Amino acid sequence: MTHQTHAYHMVNPSPWPLTGALSALLMTSGLTMWFHFNSSTLLILGLLTNSLTMYQWWRDVVRESTFQGHHTAVVQTGLRYGMILFILSEVLFFAGFFWAFYHSSLAPTPNLGGYWPPAGINPLNPMEVPLLNTLVLLASGVSITWAHHSLMEGNRKHSLQALLITISLGIYFTLLQTSEYLEAPFTISDGIYGSTFFVATGFHGLHVMIGSTFLTICLLRQLKFHFTSKHHFGFEAAAWYWHFVDVVWLFLYISIYWWGS
Amino acid sequence: MAAAAAVGTRVSRLLGRSLPQQGRPMSSGAHGEEGSARMWKALTYFVALPGVAVSMLNVFLKSHHGEHERPEFIAYPHLRIRSKPFPWGDGNHTLFHNPRVNPLPTGYEDE
Repeated sequence: MTHQTHAYHMVNPSPWPLTGALSALLMTSGLTMWFHFNSSTLLILGLLTNSLTMYQWWRDVVRESTFQGHHTAVVQTGLRYGMILFILSEVLFFAGFFWAFYHSSLAPTPNLGGYWPPAGINPLNPMEVPLLNTLVLLASGVSITWAHHSLMEGNRKHSLQALLITISLGIYFTLLQTSEYLEAPFTISDGIYGSTFFVATGFHGLHVMIGSTFLTICLLRQLKFHFTSKHHFGFEAAAWYWHFVDVVWLFLYISIYWWGS
Repeated sequence: MAAAAAVGTRVSRLLGRSLPQQGRPMSSGAHGEEGSARMWKALTYFVALPGVAVSMLNVFLKSHHGEHERPEFIAYPHLRIRSKPFPWGDGNHTLFHNPRVNPLPTGYEDE
């Protein structure tokens, strides 16, 4: 018997789970060496092996699906469940930081002055750049929906155009936030206000960069004709992730930037 | 909010305009809803991107370039915390440190 009689994908043996696990070890021990012993070698090695693992693992998934046809309907269903569960885990990750923010801001301690924002903190005006950031991400949600519909209707030119607009908006957001970080009168070391603000918005920014990268991969794949109008789960997964990033920002904006000022 | 209501009527006007197209017979198998990409394209160019442009204008109008006034430095113990040095530079500057607006625990650097 040289062919399978089921619709599932029995993946060939691969070294990437091992290299991924090793890269995780290198990154964690590398952080320790960097924090406590002023050495960044292990950390750099860890980041390098991590990037290589991600690149090669996901390259293999594209090979198995687009070029070898292993992604049948049931396999795609499994991938959908997987992406949904992953995003759910990310929601819970952010929930922790929102918990921390509300815990500290709803009952400000005496050493902060008993009020929020704490004494000595001048929060950013939510009606200036943060509002622009909100509209930028909301607009990117509209353009990515246009991209998806164009893809489903087989309009190559429009799907590429819309994806490009979405990615540009994502990059614009990142640039705006970087500028905000550099101009903010408060820092991460400014007590619990600084900690909650920069950890929550910082992780969000990291996710914007990850999402933008994912979308860029989709753009490159669409340029290379990988997607069909019926089968483009990679794009859908990127779109779900992007909407998730947008929603997290909305919660950040309302809680930390607006209510928290 | 008036803006949201304006968006709503615009969307329904767009949908109204595309309805005759959706009524035409489709012979070649399963399609995505015809005309919906057109609606999202219109939303992108007539609502989303102009919204961003207006907001950019708002930021520009509200910005005070070259503002020299900054809050007086008060050495609050709950701010500028240094439990352990940062792993970069001299260990006393945050990652996005801006000497003009971020004082060190001892005060502004340029005073």
